Amino acid sequence: MTNCLLCQSSLRHTTSFDEMMSLAPAQARQLCEECAADFFRLDSVATCVKCGRRLKAEMSNPCYDCERWQQQISFDFQNRALYEYNSAMKDYMKRYKFLGDYRLRFIFAKEVKKAVTWQKRLLVPIPVNAGTMATRGFNQVTGLLKGCSLVEALKTSQTVKDKRQSEKGRADRLRLIQPFELVEPQIERISGKDVTIIDDVYTTGTTIRHAASLLYQAGATSVIGITLAR
Amino acid sequence: MINHISDLYGRQISSAELSAAILELPEVKRRPAIQLKPSLMCSRCGSRLKRSQANLPNGQYYCYVCIQMKRMDTLHDLAFVDEPNQFTKVSDALSWEGQLTPLQAECAEQVVRIFKKRQHHLLWAVTGAGKTEMLFKGIEWAVRYGKRICIASPRVDVCIELFPRIQAAFAKTSIVLLHGKSEQPYKYSQITICTTHQLLRFYHAFDVLIIDEVDVFPFSGNPMLHFGVNNAIKTAGSMLYLTATPDKHLLTQARKGRPSISYLPIRYHGHLLPEPTIIKIKGLSQGIDNNRLDKRVLKMIRQLMSQQQRFLLFVPHIKDLAAVATAIKDAGIIAKYDTVFAADPERLEKVSAMRHHELDFIITTTILERGVTFPGIDVLVLKADNDIFSAAALIQIAGRVGRSSDRPTGRVLFYAEARAANIRSCQRQIRKMNRKAAEI
Repeated sequence: MTNCLLCQSSLRHTTSFDEMMSLAPAQARQLCEECAADFFRLDSVATCVKCGRRLKAEMSNPCYDCERWQQQISFDFQNRALYEYNSAMKDYMKRYKFLGDYRLRFIFAKEVKKAVTWQKRLLVPIPVNAGTMATRGFNQVTGLLKGCSLVEALKTSQTVKDKRQSEKGRADRLRLIQPFELVEPQIERISGKDVTIIDDVYTTGTTIRHAASLLYQAGATSVIGITLAR
Repeated sequence: MINHISDLYGRQISSAELSAAILELPEVKRRPAIQLKPSLMCSRCGSRLKRSQANLPNGQYYCYVCIQMKRMDTLHDLAFVDEPNQFTKVSDALSWEGQLTPLQAECAEQVVRIFKKRQHHLLWAVTGAGKTEMLFKGIEWAVRYGKRICIASPRVDVCIELFPRIQAAFAKTSIVLLHGKSEQPYKYSQITICTTHQLLRFYHAFDVLIIDEVDVFPFSGNPMLHFGVNNAIKTAGSMLYLTATPDKHLLTQARKGRPSISYLPIRYHGHLLPEPTIIKIKGLSQGIDNNRLDKRVLKMIRQLMSQQQRFLLFVPHIKDLAAVATAIKDAGIIAKYDTVFAADPERLEKVSAMRHHELDFIITTTILERGVTFPGIDVLVLKADNDIFSAAALIQIAGRVGRSSDRPTGRVLFYAEARAANIRSCQRQIRKMNRKAAEI
């Protein structure tokens, strides 16, 4: 008997007729139906082509924020998000990242892997800084990428982080100077390749665009982003 | 972040939460937060961990069981400081001026003896026996000798109700209330009132540890919380369990002699426990599922409203709350009422509204079965034959009634489709206690 990773209620496995007939091994569930229903998938709704946000009726495509971005940056960048950053996702991130419950990576690991590997591209995760690594003990992004071959071409350049990203306002974040550096020996692997950057949450898009601009500098042919939430 | 050494007295905290200056002090001791051998175990909550679940990158591990109280991991140590008992010894700490009945006074003396002899003891007292008041003498004794005292309960409502009473009785003593939702910051105090979960943060701290409502979820049958209790108490400390309905586990231990046991079958005002009346209604369950209540239930609610009699209406499941509320509304009953359940974000506010007479009644799950007193209320239980209501739960629910000496009786109405085993057991036990009380 296993339990829901979020609410600890016991999961009774009900085998569907299709599963019974299928030869494939049964999929182990991580969440109970109630908890799973709180997350909102973005694959069946209209989303912004540039940042992957869910489009409300009055919004243009690309959205207002992305139009501003197009005036500010000189390279092409598109992001896709798997889930909306709603209250369930916010709560999940709090527990996964800030409480540090590394087990919770299992909830989305399969989906993220599927999303990032269906195209043959080079996978570059957003790094965490050394201080976070020392206290948290893991990178929340690579945690979601179990079994994928990664090129860790980026590292954080600020040695001391004054504030957490999530504690900053939008203006603060947009002003942020380039937070990353290229990892020397990996640069040649980037050159001439199609690259996907992976991050946990796309909020303003600043972080991931900083990463993209560095990868273009290193000679990437195209750079796109995939994030768990938007 | 912990900046003052006194915040660590008798406590155990992850070194991640300590400032560098504190960590360097010689009195701060450390032990591994996660024990790797013989098997992976959390030092704070005692849970055995599965390697496949507990692993972090680079061969590190963490505890996923008690993670809600900040993470224990192999990246950090568990820091602790010995309890120094830095309290001034006050001989007349008790500012309570109430009177105990002769039986209560006898029990209170016994509590003092238990604390003196550093015993582990179970005090089995019926609902409404006046347990809290019987503790005062014992606590006064402990304060006089500079002991550190804790009253813990699995239920946050119980802690919240206890705090002002203890504060009023020991006005000159430092007291802190700790629970998951409390905004009061931790402060080194002589008396701690907290949920049993909070005990995980203490290490060999208490000379006297009192656990109220010991037989209830989540404490009962939870090895993590039992581990926490055993860590929080000093090795030679005294433990007092309080309940009106001890579970099998505790009674088995008591039969072996530790804890010792004593029994108080009579309420403080000397009246007997109200016995439940069972009203059989066919199709009660189905009716509630369709947002309908039987006319006998509605009639009773109308009658109670017209008499301005306040009451609690118990249902077994959260989903029944809305159904019953709808049924009452549809019946055209005009009253101030609300529903409450364990995970209700406004639970504490609603209970407080009931306490301040802002509500006529509350529709509730078993969360309000115990530890709360609304003077002079009646109780109604819908689907009393449901498995959710254990015999102990029903006894506790019945025990909400007739607690004040102004109105020592009241209605206890169980609506059920059948007189199921739990109801029969509840009736049997209440009668037994009343027989014992009558002998005195």
